[in-house]
Amino acid sequence: MSAPIATGTLAAPIGRPRPLEADAVCKRFGPFRALESVSLRVEPGSVHALLGENGAGKSTLVKCIMGYHPIDGGSIRLGDLEVTPRSPRDAQALGIGMVYQHFTLVPNMTVCENFVLSRAALPFMVDWVRERASLRGFLSGMPFKVDLDAPVRSLSAGEKQKIEILKQLYLKSRIVILDEPTSVLTPAEADEVLTMLHSMARGGHVSIVLITHKFREVTKYADDVTILRRGRVVGHGRVRDQTAEAMAEKMMGGTVPGREKDENAATVGETRLHVDQLEADDDSGVPALRGVSFEVRSGEIVGIAAIAGNGQEELVEVLAGQRPRRAGRVNVSGEAFHATRAQMKTRGVRCLPEEPLRNACVAAMSVSENMAFRTFEARAVLGCFVSTKAMNARATRMVADYGVRTSSIHSPIAQLSGGNVQRSVLARELDGKVDVLVAANPCMGLDFAAVAEIHARIRAARDGGAAVLLVSADLDEIFALATRILVLSEGKIAYETAVQGAAPSVLGRYMAGHG
Amino acid sequence: MTAASREVQTANGRAGGASWAARSVVWADALAIPLLAIGVSFAIFGVFVALVGASVTDVYYQMYRGAFGTWFSLQNTLLRAAPLMLTALCTALPAHVGLVVIGGEGALLVGALASVVAAHALAPANPWVVLFAMGAFACAAGGAWIAVVGALRTLRGVNETISSLLLNYIAIGLFKHLVEGPMRDPASLNKPSTRPIGEANALGDIPGMDVHWGLVYGLVACGLSYLLMRFSSFGFAARMVGGNVRAALLSGLSVHRIIVVTCACAGAAAGLAGMAEVAAVHGTANASLIVGYGYTGVLVAFLARQHPLAIVPVAILLGGIGASGGLLQRADHLPDAAVDVFQGILFVVILASETLRGRMGTGIARRTPNRARVATAGEEVA
Amino acid sequence: MTGGAMGLWGLPLALAGGALRVSPPYLWVSLGECLTEKSGRINLGQEGTLVMGAMSGYAVSYLTGSPWLGVLAAGSVGVVFGALHGWLCSLPRVNDIAVGIALMLFGMGVAFFLGKPVIQPAAPQLPALDLGGWSELAPLRAALKVNLLLLVGVAAAFAMRFFFRRTRWGLVVRLVGEDADAARAMGYSVARVRLLATTAGGFFAGVGGSFLSLYYPGSWNERLSSGQGLMAVALVIFAKWDPVRCLWASLLFGGAGALGPALQSVGYTGGYNLFAAAPYILTLGIMTATSSAHRILTGQPAALTVAR
Repeated sequence: MSAPIATGTLAAPIGRPRPLEADAVCKRFGPFRALESVSLRVEPGSVHALLGENGAGKSTLVKCIMGYHPIDGGSIRLGDLEVTPRSPRDAQALGIGMVYQHFTLVPNMTVCENFVLSRAALPFMVDWVRERASLRGFLSGMPFKVDLDAPVRSLSAGEKQKIEILKQLYLKSRIVILDEPTSVLTPAEADEVLTMLHSMARGGHVSIVLITHKFREVTKYADDVTILRRGRVVGHGRVRDQTAEAMAEKMMGGTVPGREKDENAATVGETRLHVDQLEADDDSGVPALRGVSFEVRSGEIVGIAAIAGNGQEELVEVLAGQRPRRAGRVNVSGEAFHATRAQMKTRGVRCLPEEPLRNACVAAMSVSENMAFRTFEARAVLGCFVSTKAMNARATRMVADYGVRTSSIHSPIAQLSGGNVQRSVLARELDGKVDVLVAANPCMGLDFAAVAEIHARIRAARDGGAAVLLVSADLDEIFALATRILVLSEGKIAYETAVQGAAPSVLGRYMAGHG
Repeated sequence: MTAASREVQTANGRAGGASWAARSVVWADALAIPLLAIGVSFAIFGVFVALVGASVTDVYYQMYRGAFGTWFSLQNTLLRAAPLMLTALCTALPAHVGLVVIGGEGALLVGALASVVAAHALAPANPWVVLFAMGAFACAAGGAWIAVVGALRTLRGVNETISSLLLNYIAIGLFKHLVEGPMRDPASLNKPSTRPIGEANALGDIPGMDVHWGLVYGLVACGLSYLLMRFSSFGFAARMVGGNVRAALLSGLSVHRIIVVTCACAGAAAGLAGMAEVAAVHGTANASLIVGYGYTGVLVAFLARQHPLAIVPVAILLGGIGASGGLLQRADHLPDAAVDVFQGILFVVILASETLRGRMGTGIARRTPNRARVATAGEEVA
Repeated sequence: MTGGAMGLWGLPLALAGGALRVSPPYLWVSLGECLTEKSGRINLGQEGTLVMGAMSGYAVSYLTGSPWLGVLAAGSVGVVFGALHGWLCSLPRVNDIAVGIALMLFGMGVAFFLGKPVIQPAAPQLPALDLGGWSELAPLRAALKVNLLLLVGVAAAFAMRFFFRRTRWGLVVRLVGEDADAARAMGYSVARVRLLATTAGGFFAGVGGSFLSLYYPGSWNERLSSGQGLMAVALVIFAKWDPVRCLWASLLFGGAGALGPALQSVGYTGGYNLFAAAPYILTLGIMTATSSAHRILTGQPAALTVAR
């Protein structure tokens, strides 16, 4: 591993952090230009927000800074020195650390082991007694308390996130980059974390780069902001000189999507989906659902608000037939529902799981075949052979109706972009009569246009008489779509309220488990 | 999704609807790499041959002679290819549902035993009836044997490769116990065998050849398997299960049933191979049946990329190599393990050659298993 | 050894002695597989490595006259096979499980191919340690006659546990097996760690193989191995990936393998083939009982769940 900098050596980071500068950075992946002449400057001891919608290039930029990708043009500077980190290890040696969107903690190991292992230079033999003592000393100066011996898999998402941040401080990072850190936290936890980071920056110990798409966080906690759109910088400056509207406009490129229009034309009818005292375990055999009960009526959208790890993933899996239940009942239109194919067909039960490529598609099969998952045995030739003509005709129709962008219906579905995969699955699931629709985080990772489109489709399904269950970690989405909100916390329904007049802070408290 | 079913999916997915250029790239990909692998394997085998002091060119010549050189050796090759086609299906069919099963050896033996039982039970009846019963019993027994593997995997999560391998050993133990014990023919002193099924019940030869009808069993089974997996509704469902179990569950498919039924079909094919060996070759069940047809069948399946139609030429190729083994022993004094070495080399090289796939064409025929993971992580390329 | 003089104690003693005598290959191969699997890779080709180790150990012992050199040679051959497995699996798009099967067949083929000349001659065997020398009873002495490789194996089991808990490299191996992405983010080369772990695992398997040809059963022929390499993989699952548990499990499996001969020694001779199948049935039973379709097994390195 060669030295990451051109000249001189860098001593262990002490004292004030240096300014971090990206100077006309370019990055290409094949023909695709991810970053085009991006410049930004992070002042020492400041909180710098990096704003932009999904696909703007924020993640790519920080990954270049962290050494994951070599840059194709421009330079990265730390103070006066130009640096070329070739790996996250190099970046760490320079005092730059990152807290990722997905956790990098090892689930099967304890908190203590995770801290020690993250160090660059491990001793040949680890003296756990001494390491533990030094860790306790370090933690005593921190505002968060953690249990060193807890296995990481038993911790909540919020606790894991805090440990990730603490890990960076333990490693003495002077510049800490955070990628959407509050997406897995409740509003209260988010405030706690951001306040702490803000005060540390104020104290001159670290500089913070905060990737986010939430204006509230930018205006409340950040000092400077850089706005990216399609790989270019479209705006930058001090936060106090900007307004949220101006920033939003720059982020969208001038067309701010208006608030979604919802003429709720549906009439709420009878109960279609009835879940009664449902119990199920997660992959480790630990109970994830501990007696969940609720109802969804036709013509309404019920939102389940939950933070990752509280059972909503398992709930959707049970309803979709991907996980067995331990106890309790699921009734659709008054009759017991066991997620068999025949029942799904006759009762019109459809499911739009999160991460559609992972959960609802076969990556190597074509778009046409994927769209036929519910119907491939229809119009069978000689009673047992798949009619490819019917399959392709159906796929062509659905691709046209839903605007799926694909070079051909025979392309492997994995070649489509995330938004188009979601559209394909949506097309398949909403085909025909839908009586019950279970949707989980349907718009994760999609740009605003796709989000609006998918929300419109879900509303259309509701207007057609479907009972829609929307499971989402995004409160904004729930507020936009649902009429009733249920909070799922630690495997139980902790709170129920109508959307009208619901307070996000109250919901946040229940989501975090503090009633 | 395992690499086994991925192969199957990509071949099906890519072949449809792309341009002429793209299609020819796919064919180049599918043919050139196995051919390259075979060539490299011959070269490496040459090194081993040289190590034991034999003449490399002579060995190659004898292999050709023993496999395809004369009408006699060609028939010998076909005789060996017949059971290989069937045992290869024992690996190829479960591959479509994402399982790696190597239990052909055990299913063959169990099928052989069952066919002998059937023959003795129906002894005085019309030979057609007896043969039919033998085949049915063999399929049932072999099918049940591998169905256990599938059931253990889908209901209890037991690794199917290990369990099918263990069942091979268990089948060998059971086979030997029965053949040397309760089912033993008192007249077979030197080599314990079951009582013969009788001349009348022997499976005859295809008219015009010295090759028995078992070859036709193999051809028909491969053809039916192709039709089943590629065109039928069950095959579509099976490929969904092999491609992504979660998507299959989401669509309400009965995954347990599909896996167990597919495994049962796989085991039935191998069991049928056992019946053919008993009825056509040996006339009885004894240790001559334990010659590794099952394991060679695994190799055939991988070499054929789990494609039922490709199994036919590959089985003939490997049958030829096996047929030349005797000649290699006599002419070049190579140990009889020479054929095993060659097959082992071929297997390893074929697997290593997987990395070359997708590099034949540039942008057109691209394999995208890893993109699936990238796309789902919510991280678009930017 | 007759059971007559010992009465009721004959059978358990025969079993215990059998366990001590038969278990070293299980122990060594399972330790090697444990190390490999802790790094997140499964090696089903250990059977081939085992047989190659047996053959090369025997051949070198015959050629040099020293059985210990044979053991060393067997370990070296194991290193080569382990490295081959590791390298093949590190190539993109290559299936671990298929490579294991291929190497199993390849190893066995090569072993019988190159080993043909040494089937007849008798090679010097490994000496036995007479741990039961203090006893007057012949059966007890026979039961306690063990080989140094067993004792070294026992020490290795404890050393390996220490390795995983307290040393830097042990922790790195565990990290790579648990979360390859995290390991990569911390700058460790996942491919290199797995390659080294697989290579070292091959060494253990090779040594285990040398035991078969140089001590018990003590000869080299085509019927030498009977799946110990494969059973070791199941053994590691049963032992929940802990080296010291691998030790106890090996003794258990050794006892099962010794069941046939032990029963013969006290007079039961029927059903030999079925008893020979006992270890496999035991393995299958254990795997069925301990696996679960829905739960991740405790102690299982996370990387292995993906590799099914």
